[in-house]
Amino acid sequence: MATTTTKLHVIYGDTTLGLVGEHFHYIFNYDRGGLESLQQYGKEWLYRTPKPAFWRATTDNDRGNHFSAHAAMWLGADLFSPCTDIEVAVNGRVITLPVAPENNRYSDHETADTVSLTFTYTTTTVPATMVEVVYTVDATGQLTIQENYTGQPGLPELPALGFQLIAPTMASGFSYQGLSGETYPDRMAGGIPGTYTVDGLPVTPYLVPQENGMHMQTQQVTVTRQTTLNNADPDQQAFSLTVQQADEPFAFSCLPYTAAELENATHQEELPPARRTVLTIYGAVRGVGGIDSWGADVEPEYHISAETGHSFSFKIAGPDELNH
Amino acid sequence: MQAELKWLDDPETFRVNQLPAHSDHHYYATVTDADQGTNQLEQSLDGTWQFAFAPNPQERPQGFYRPDFDRRSFDTIQVPGHIELAGYGQIQYINTAYPWEGSHYRRPAYTLGDRTGKPGMFSEAPDNTVGAYAKHFTLNPGLQGQRVIVQFDGVEEALYLWLNGHFVGYAEDSFTRSEFDLTPYLQPGDNLIAVEVFKRCTASFLEDQDMFRFSGIFRSVRLLAQPKLHVNDLTIRANVQDDLKTGDLNVTAQLAADTFDGAQVHLTLRDARGARLLERTSSADDTVSFTHLTVPTVHLWQHHDPYLYQLTLELLDAQGNVIEVVPYVVGFRRLELKDKVMLLNGQRLILNGVNRHEWDARTGRNVSLADMHRDLSIFKQAHINAVRTCHYSDQDVWYDLCDQAGIYMMAENNLESHGTWQKRGAVEPSYNVPGSLPEWRAVVLDRARSNYQTFKNHPAILFWSLGNESYAGDNIAAMNQFYKDHDDTRLTHYEGVCRNRDYADRISDMESMMYDPPKAIRDYLQHDPQKPFINCEYMHDMGNSLGGMQSYMDLLDEFPMYQGGFIWDYIDQALLVKDEVTGRDVLRYGGDFDDRPADYEFSGDGLLFADRTPKPALQEVSHYYGNYDD
Repeated sequence: MATTTTKLHVIYGDTTLGLVGEHFHYIFNYDRGGLESLQQYGKEWLYRTPKPAFWRATTDNDRGNHFSAHAAMWLGADLFSPCTDIEVAVNGRVITLPVAPENNRYSDHETADTVSLTFTYTTTTVPATMVEVVYTVDATGQLTIQENYTGQPGLPELPALGFQLIAPTMASGFSYQGLSGETYPDRMAGGIPGTYTVDGLPVTPYLVPQENGMHMQTQQVTVTRQTTLNNADPDQQAFSLTVQQADEPFAFSCLPYTAAELENATHQEELPPARRTVLTIYGAVRGVGGIDSWGADVEPEYHISAETGHSFSFKIAGPDELNH
Repeated sequence: MQAELKWLDDPETFRVNQLPAHSDHHYYATVTDADQGTNQLEQSLDGTWQFAFAPNPQERPQGFYRPDFDRRSFDTIQVPGHIELAGYGQIQYINTAYPWEGSHYRRPAYTLGDRTGKPGMFSEAPDNTVGAYAKHFTLNPGLQGQRVIVQFDGVEEALYLWLNGHFVGYAEDSFTRSEFDLTPYLQPGDNLIAVEVFKRCTASFLEDQDMFRFSGIFRSVRLLAQPKLHVNDLTIRANVQDDLKTGDLNVTAQLAADTFDGAQVHLTLRDARGARLLERTSSADDTVSFTHLTVPTVHLWQHHDPYLYQLTLELLDAQGNVIEVVPYVVGFRRLELKDKVMLLNGQRLILNGVNRHEWDARTGRNVSLADMHRDLSIFKQAHINAVRTCHYSDQDVWYDLCDQAGIYMMAENNLESHGTWQKRGAVEPSYNVPGSLPEWRAVVLDRARSNYQTFKNHPAILFWSLGNESYAGDNIAAMNQFYKDHDDTRLTHYEGVCRNRDYADRISDMESMMYDPPKAIRDYLQHDPQKPFINCEYMHDMGNSLGGMQSYMDLLDEFPMYQGGFIWDYIDQALLVKDEVTGRDVLRYGGDFDDRPADYEFSGDGLLFADRTPKPALQEVSHYYGNYDD
């Protein structure tokens, strides 16, 4: 199926849209509401369809000032917001959604220079609002992902706004260009810019599991795994996926747990065995700090309003971009 | 004299036959011993003791201290250590409320109009656990034939002491050294020392610190022989004259001796490299003073250059034999309040501080020398220049180490009565102690005296702190006055006066608040402040909660009278225990021991995790403190 053209090979499936090029194969699923498969060099990077992230696990400071209680509907939105609209554009032109039988018009050798898919999610908040995730794929396999949040009066402040990608197996580590240590908008003065390599997926062992592992002001992060869930793939060679800055630096965390898993545990040992990689790219992060932990809020400039719009974008590098 | 259980109920009985507090100097029989730090006059009683635990005073083994008592049913326990961590008695963590909240109704004696003193409140209490300790010893040769005292560095919370069946004395104040003279009851060969430790007494109302609640002999115990010529107490005043160059040394020693006839005291001051700068000799007497010894061009002590001179006192008998040698380090520095700004050696003082509980995840408040060295190396790495000993006195050696490392100390009294005046966050002092109650005055003054007398010679101590969160009244004011009467080389601190402004002129040289937002501090500093401002606690670093530090640091640039503060706090308090499911070592906190009520993870508020690994936020602290570390 691999193509040798410099164009994207587009596969107009009945329930999916496949994009294939040299060393990459991406499948978007209309029923799953997003990107279902992200393969580079035959290695699958997705466990489930990525989705917008609205929650970061409650910190002790959040607990003390009841932020989590005020913002609680974002936890539901993080877990359950459905995809309610999908749009496909080929070479910059929106086409009729190519599901059956509309897709019967296509052949088995369709190509394009770029393909964009826009998945719109309606949040389970009251009032509801919309979040678009726009994937744009070019012929080199580079994915540009833009997330657009629509502000809605009456919504509580956001704990975070991000894009969450869960990989099937646990990473052996990651390296990034950005700030040293764990940083947050209100705690990044001490971070030293540089390139850092982290072994494994360490969870900062706060006494009660909580939000941790954020890296602000990142230009690039490369996550490396060695194992897959593919029964036909005995290869244990390391393989990587790289996320790069688009217009602005981004924030990310790379952990073996989702925010909900962290939220659920009262001790480190209650966290489930680490088995996946949860890579979240953030466009907005609420501060963590407070004057005290029993009522003081984080400083105003480190809040995220949900009543105004927010957009951010980043790139997932194509397979040959970093000299694999 | 017979031991009486009712002392547990009486706030006016807190030391019986205890020797007066005095300076923490070490003393040696010979110059060689002093140089090598080996001490033939000292015998450790740390190690394995016989032990019996009782859930309450009624069920304790009465008379266990008698040599003929059958202690074959006794267990053993390691000293030092907490009874609870040895598997007896429930571990409990609670912050403000008293640990008996919801289980026993108690009000402190002499509050709310009570004139009875509440007999039986602790002596007949069902929740007052008791540890009975016993140990046999034979005096080492270096101690035989001399006056011998026993030193307990820390016993929580009330102790009764017997030697060979004779009652020796009683002490409270968990974090202060207690000393007793054993000489009258010592016998050749085998001796039996016995200690009965009660978890609760009236001091419980004064020791309501935000921490795990333990009991037992949790710091070291030792015997010390006193030579026939002995320095009981030593007061060193290493002042600096107005020129900030000339050292003015004053040394006063209180001596004990069988006879002073012909005896002499020989003083030597050496610089840090051992060169002899001063020598003086005086005939020995009860009090010997060396005043206004001048050190021209003195090398001042400060954070980045904690220069220490070496003082030695030698006591010589009439034949010129050295009987006792007392070495002590001397740091010349000058702390003053000038134009409402605290100056050290003429420079504005900036406190890049932390509050530090003594904590080790395995041994609780029994911390090792290795823990302390690790802490100081982290202090250095993170540009931490100051420590508040929250909220009790620490092990002696910590003060020595801070002298050597140039760490500015706020030496806090063992006092916190938070639960008697703050209920559910509101100020409600209806049964506050110590308050202004006469029955509670002597005990807190004793705590001030012990803290002062023990640590008065440490250059690292810049501030005496009267205690923590105990509201304010005449008794706290009396503590303040005690320090003013005894020490003009340091300033006093007490945050609680901000809760009761009636005492503003009588308590604390500085305005001190905890967890005030930067804008509130700015408001204070912009409106004709009467005292310089410090944050005795700020940035509450619970879990992943440290951020926004810039707003505090900006105040340093804007207001000379803003002089920094102490982050709450240095290390998480949590206990490493074996997970009942996986068998792995895991950290546990309040409520994890079926203890109720509990304040759960609220003690997890350190810059370090409880196992002493730094939290990520330490890099932020290091950054900001580094900007003001000059």
